Amino acid sequence: MSELQLSVETGRKGGTRPARRLRREGKIPAVVYGLDVDPIPIAIEWPALRAALTTDAGINALITLEIEGEDHLTLIKDLQRHPVRRDVIHVDFYRIRADQEIEVNIPIHLIGEALAVTRADGMVDQTMYELIILTKPGNVPDEIIVDITDLQLGESIKVADLPLPDGASAVADPDDSVAISLITRSTREAMARDLAAEAEAEAEEADEEAADADGDDSGDSED
Amino acid sequence: MLMPKKDKHRKQHRGRTKGVSKGRTEVTYGDFGIQALEPGWITARQIEAARIAMTRHIKRGGKVWINVFPDKPVTQKPAETRMGSGKGNPEHWVAVVKPGKVMFELTYHDEEIARGAIDRAIQKLPIKARFVSREEAF
Repeated sequence: MSELQLSVETGRKGGTRPARRLRREGKIPAVVYGLDVDPIPIAIEWPALRAALTTDAGINALITLEIEGEDHLTLIKDLQRHPVRRDVIHVDFYRIRADQEIEVNIPIHLIGEALAVTRADGMVDQTMYELIILTKPGNVPDEIIVDITDLQLGESIKVADLPLPDGASAVADPDDSVAISLITRSTREAMARDLAAEAEAEAEEADEEAADADGDDSGDSED
Repeated sequence: MLMPKKDKHRKQHRGRTKGVSKGRTEVTYGDFGIQALEPGWITARQIEAARIAMTRHIKRGGKVWINVFPDKPVTQKPAETRMGSGKGNPEHWVAVVKPGKVMFELTYHDEEIARGAIDRAIQKLPIKARFVSREEAF
């Protein structure tokens, strides 16, 4: 878990137009809240924020904001992107205490290829992409990696199967599914279509053979 | 083809399509998606054509989600009819799409094939659209 330091500007004006002006200057409007303290509207230089977001910890990096000479340990709670341009337009920083447990969204990554499933024309359907865990800020993992190589058709990976760091617990029900291996309806339909086509082709072949045999018989009788 | 089971009003006004999509702008269910880059009306036939193009390309072992539903009736007057005499008859159904909307989502274990499927589906749509994936860079 990396810890980063960012210096920010305070006293930005609220509203759409001042926010747009800030973005034009290469700054991102943001807000800091949490721990029962009044929210503080701030602005951050985009290159510094981008560098903080592109560490191994990703969006879950612990960021210390320097606001008017005072350090605030924070975590990104929300990040808004423009729907089309996809650039970051606003960030919510959540103030945390280093010794207090927090709820964090950790991305779940499936690695490997479930050969037993793909060979049977099945697929691994990931139903949960993020897991909320309860842990101390210093113990937040960058991601949860699950190897699905040995997954068989019809099996599923549950929250209880996920490898969590010591001292961390999942907020979700342990029986909730993270990934399920299955054969989709469309694949079943495609299989049924293929079987029907094969049966039809075989039937046609048998008919042709029968017709040929009849033709040969009639040819013989003519001679 | 997709269409509502019942409707409250048989005919609707055309409306105006301003601004960008308010929701469904991220890939939520699958790993990849088709994001609209322009506003437009997507007909039920076009949605079905895009779905078929995707499922045919991935063949087996994938899953497709359709995030748009054609719930707006479009009317048309019969050919060679004089103007007037009221609004035409409902002919087909369209989904109103604004820029940013992730219209289709797809899960498939091979990204290259998924890209091929999505490119083929985009060809069936009347608006500019692009391939998007769950993992986004900053």
